[in-house]
Amino acid sequence: MMLRTFSNLCAQSQACFRSARAKSTLSAVIDETGKSGLILKSVSTDIFENLALEDWIHDHVDLQNRSMLFLWSNAPAVVIGRHQNPWQECNLQVMRQKGIPLARRRSGGGTVFHDLGNVNLTFFTSKKNYDRHRNLQVVTSALKGLRPDMDVRATERFDILLNGQHKISGTAAKLGRTAAYHHCTLLCSADRALLSAVLKPTCQGIKSNATQSVPSPVKNLLDEDPTLDCDTIMDSVASQYNTEFGFSSPVTLVDPSDELSLPGIQRMARELLAWEWTFGRTPKFSICTTFELKNDTSICNATLNMDIKNGIIESCDIEVPSDWLPVELSREFSLHLIGGKLCPYQTSVIAAELLRTIPQNKELERKMYNLCRRVVFMM
Amino acid sequence: MLSHSRCVTRNVSRFIAVISQGNNVLARQAVSGLSASRSVTVNNPAKCGARSSVFQIRYFRTSSACRNEVITVKTPAFAESVTEGDVRWEKAVGDSVKEDEVVCEIETDKTSVQVPSPAAGVIEELLVPDGEKVEGGQALFKLRKGAVAAQAAEAPAAVAAPPPPAAATPPASAVGPIPTTMPPVPPVPGAAISATPVSAIKPTDAPAAFADGRGIPARTEHRVKMNRMRLRIAQRLKEAQNTCAMLTTFNEVDMSNISEMRKAYKDTFLKKHNIKLGFMSAFVKASAYALMDQPSVNGVIDDTTKEVVYRDYVDISVAVATPKGLVVPVIRGVEGMNFADIEKTINELGEKARKNELAVEDMDGGTFTISNGGVFGSMFGTPIINPPQSAILGMHGIFDRPVAIGGKVEIRPMMYVALTYDHRLIDGREAVTFLRKIKAVVEDPRVLLLDL
Repeated sequence: MMLRTFSNLCAQSQACFRSARAKSTLSAVIDETGKSGLILKSVSTDIFENLALEDWIHDHVDLQNRSMLFLWSNAPAVVIGRHQNPWQECNLQVMRQKGIPLARRRSGGGTVFHDLGNVNLTFFTSKKNYDRHRNLQVVTSALKGLRPDMDVRATERFDILLNGQHKISGTAAKLGRTAAYHHCTLLCSADRALLSAVLKPTCQGIKSNATQSVPSPVKNLLDEDPTLDCDTIMDSVASQYNTEFGFSSPVTLVDPSDELSLPGIQRMARELLAWEWTFGRTPKFSICTTFELKNDTSICNATLNMDIKNGIIESCDIEVPSDWLPVELSREFSLHLIGGKLCPYQTSVIAAELLRTIPQNKELERKMYNLCRRVVFMM
Repeated sequence: MLSHSRCVTRNVSRFIAVISQGNNVLARQAVSGLSASRSVTVNNPAKCGARSSVFQIRYFRTSSACRNEVITVKTPAFAESVTEGDVRWEKAVGDSVKEDEVVCEIETDKTSVQVPSPAAGVIEELLVPDGEKVEGGQALFKLRKGAVAAQAAEAPAAVAAPPPPAAATPPASAVGPIPTTMPPVPPVPGAAISATPVSAIKPTDAPAAFADGRGIPARTEHRVKMNRMRLRIAQRLKEAQNTCAMLTTFNEVDMSNISEMRKAYKDTFLKKHNIKLGFMSAFVKASAYALMDQPSVNGVIDDTTKEVVYRDYVDISVAVATPKGLVVPVIRGVEGMNFADIEKTINELGEKARKNELAVEDMDGGTFTISNGGVFGSMFGTPIINPPQSAILGMHGIFDRPVAIGGKVEIRPMMYVALTYDHRLIDGREAVTFLRKIKAVVEDPRVLLLDL
């Protein structure tokens, strides 16, 4: 009680400080309302902005005596768990082709495909009130409220299954120092073809101790019942949340790009966008694979062995039969990749430079070109 | 400012909580969820229940004598009957940590739990390898408490894990947009075409400028190893310089006509083609035209077979400076393209370069290079040939200058252009004619129509 009074006082004095500003920050506003339960909905469909907002709420809002529900959905994106390996979990080439971004969230768990037909729900509580089963009950009750005879059940692993076989929701969570959040997805009307196309490994032969996803057959709620669209479901979950926890909160819209009410959020979004976070945070792993090289006249098998730490190639050995390509060339290529990022762009630049140094021999150049392209393709 | 005051609020409110709760806090056990029962096994016999109790003890023990003491930090108990999780280290041995800074995260069953450091200090030893399983209560890492003395360790650490200069870039900075207007593709100034413009090699970890705290700059130096790619390019440039008989011829171009054409048609062009009309397309087209006219400039000497290779196609490499270094995407088959096609291709390549999506096939090859130092304000300069080609055109800045026209002095927007060429293959006459042709086309594009 004393805590709340203090923070209210602070909010007031802060309001005095910033009399020039039109509104105070979101946390100040929340504190001022004095409510113990709030429901927020994001107006943005940008995965990075929304993830940054989750982090912002976790870091800045006082959750000791209140809980919050955050509803959001994103334009197509792939989201991997905190300790996962993107090369193992999703097909980066297909994603690049289709302009689907990759994001790494801060909670653990597996890889999910997001699009506008996929609803995300984040339950913010203090560590004391962290209860995933109860949160999932809100979701299943909400769905049952809409369709009483629908068979939706939460499992031991915190998935929600439809008809006992298809997964419609997966869960992940993060426990911080004083607060926690539990977020889950809900498949309403996602593009399942795209989902299967992107949730495949980028290349074969990856050996890693990163957290691996457990693939499951999925289904959209919309397939089960054409009247269940995202908005209906979000509204139902929101009102069930109020019922379950005894709150009376309306759904408040929030804009995750508003730096004034969410100071520091743009920096957080930028951190999530950076290569060093998305790819560089991958636990150490190695790639060991063979691939085919061919040109008009011949074909051969080459092998590639790489060790990668923090997304940087620490060691690289590309072996090509010496009758197909001179050993010095493949060795040079291997040596030049060391110390660089496992990034197709950077490798392309290196490859282009190397190709320029090859003596004017069309066939050799062609073969080297094929090798370079094939290696880039694995990234 | 806000976050600072919020911090203050938190600390102060904790203090108040401490005072108001008095002795009851230890009796209150955390119920569910992850109780922060990191049993710090030194000077703290009571099992810490709630998080605030650790702080309570901390505040009251300000004069504790544990300097340089090594403590073992244990894995916190897990929630909801989970027995084990995987450790993911955030910090390494020798890293200094502040109190409460996250040392590692433990992943249990889709949940990521942060394990903060109970005190400020240096990580002495990690007792579990990364990715291995740990159980609640298991010893996790050793921390040497006390002030951090690892400043000296940081400088070599910065060097030891060097982002190669070619790739050294602040992670959050977005690639600057490649201006597609005048001039649309900004490459390196007409100096050495290497993987990174020298200016981009910023010291990755500049040592503290005022190390002795007296306001006098420190006179230290630090060394960064050249990365392999840089060494190779350096070698190649020197080889080129040693084999080619390289020299440069200059000319100047009156940009008034082309500016006028651009002004007159830019809106229509934008409407029809959806991209801006720049100057680059004029120079690219002019070069292609001149190259078809002077085939030796488009050719190259094959040193191994002692042959001259003449090419019937024109692929123009355009040097582009990105924050990550120099890249040279290629516009293929320019001889068959018109201004609009060229602008489109430049635009596409510029977008790809900006988004770091250039592929090997975009950058491979090229028979002639154009480099634009004008973007950076260069007035005059000698570009260096981009091996294995025979010539390079350097464009410079457009400045208003007084020139003599028809016996009178007029102010015209003028640009100096430079052609560096390999004299083993290209004669002086050919080089000068080539450059004059470019000048003629850019000064009056009708020359192209009439094939003059």
